[in-house]
Amino acid sequence: MIRLCSVEELDEDEILRVELDGGHGIAVYLLDGEIFATDDLCTHGEASLAEGEIEDGKIVCPFHLGSFDIRTGAACAAPCSIALKTYPVEVIGGDVHIAM
Amino acid sequence: MNDAHRWLNEHPELGSGPIPIEPYIAPDWYEREREKIFRKVWLCVGRVDEIPKKGDYKVKRLAAADTSVILMRGKDDVVRAYHNICAHRGNTVVTETGPETFGRSKAAIVTCRFHGWVYGADGALKHVPSEERFYECFDKQKNGLSPIHVDFWEGFIFINLAETPDASLTEFLGDYAAHFAGFPFAELSYQFTYYTELECNWKVAHDAFAEAYHVDTIHAGSFPNTFSTGLQNVKLMGPHRTCAVCLTLGATPTPVAGIANSIAGASLVTQRAETMLPPSINPDKREDFAFELSVLFPNTLIHVSEGIWFTHQFWPIAHNRTLWEGRYYVRPPKTNAERWAMEHAMTLQRNAWLEDTATMEDTQRAMQSRAKTVQNLQDDEILIRHSAVVVDEYVNA
Ligand code: FES
Repeated sequence: MIRLCSVEELDEDEILRVELDGGHGIAVYLLDGEIFATDDLCTHGEASLAEGEIEDGKIVCPFHLGSFDIRTGAACAAPCSIALKTYPVEVIGGDVHIAM
Repeated sequence: MNDAHRWLNEHPELGSGPIPIEPYIAPDWYEREREKIFRKVWLCVGRVDEIPKKGDYKVKRLAAADTSVILMRGKDDVVRAYHNICAHRGNTVVTETGPETFGRSKAAIVTCRFHGWVYGADGALKHVPSEERFYECFDKQKNGLSPIHVDFWEGFIFINLAETPDASLTEFLGDYAAHFAGFPFAELSYQFTYYTELECNWKVAHDAFAEAYHVDTIHAGSFPNTFSTGLQNVKLMGPHRTCAVCLTLGATPTPVAGIANSIAGASLVTQRAETMLPPSINPDKREDFAFELSVLFPNTLIHVSEGIWFTHQFWPIAHNRTLWEGRYYVRPPKTNAERWAMEHAMTLQRNAWLEDTATMEDTQRAMQSRAKTVQNLQDDEILIRHSAVVVDEYVNA
């Protein structure tokens, strides 16, 4: 289990980018009260999805407006075609953790 | 000494002869203005608070220089300027929807919608779809956005399209900057903007706003019996110019204007105690001071007054076509009554501007007849005379 952040740091309007050792970025979302985590890097280009916008449960990439389902990681809009990796989230004592 | 000729006495170098009409109507003169003025000097293209957040941008079209400029605030909070053209095949990077286009990007990037090239607010080309299909000679490092010189004064954003500007912004502004230093432009942030394209030369528009001689006749409806003492404190500062416009004391406003004035004092023609004017403005503390009227060469008029400031800008599109933008700023209202009073003042101002712009297209059309070759200026039209002299100097430099 890797600790990402505390629940308090999350906000429905802001996506939190957490950088793991080695530079791997994880995007953490609060969506209708539920917490989700995906890779931060878009599967199309070098964009940070944490800088995108959430629309209807999807994360819209800032570069080319491709999108992914935040819950499943499925690519939803071109030019994205490769699914985004998602991580099961567990909250332990007010902290958000993922298993890698 | 004839007091009716006081400005000529102060500035004999400007002469007193008639002013030729040809520069207002000749396409080839306009071509020289584009090259010698609009592609050379610092131009005021906005305010930093129009793009307050990191990643905010505005694109402004500058027809006179055949370009559009992207002004973008980076993640480092620095505003930079670029030409709005993609390094791939020349499309506009930001799709424009009018003379000004606003946008916002959390990632502080702009994407060309044609093939998806992505540029950062630092100008760098960040992403090229299918990059591997370009050849070795293609260098991403060398294909960022084309930068434009940008600098700032009192929250105003200036750009300069020259490869190497002849002067820094500070040098260009000279005494003009000192004259207005300290006026709380940023605090008076509640604003409205009007803009339209007018079928006239940009100098016809400039001239119509650069004197108060017209007020008694053309503004008889919106501001009756207000202005009559004319200009005071004319100051010519290099290519820039300023003066005080004074109003007649004791003119009775209409009943509704009277109520609005007593609530917000947001109208130019009301008497208001002076608290915020820099010492160089209305230095003699004249009771009838209404507002400072200044021209920041070439195409920006900045007016300041107690609790109010407003600008006019004239952006040439052709020798006989101009984009006019008028903006009016007051302190944000705190109550509904203040809000109403400000709307009232702004509406009056809008009416006055409509009256101002009404003559411009007629003037242009009549000038184009070439039935008259010169205009005859009186002493209080000195700002127009100064403008004609400065434009002539630049064009023939
Ligand atoms: S980089 Fe994300 S959609 Fe292109």
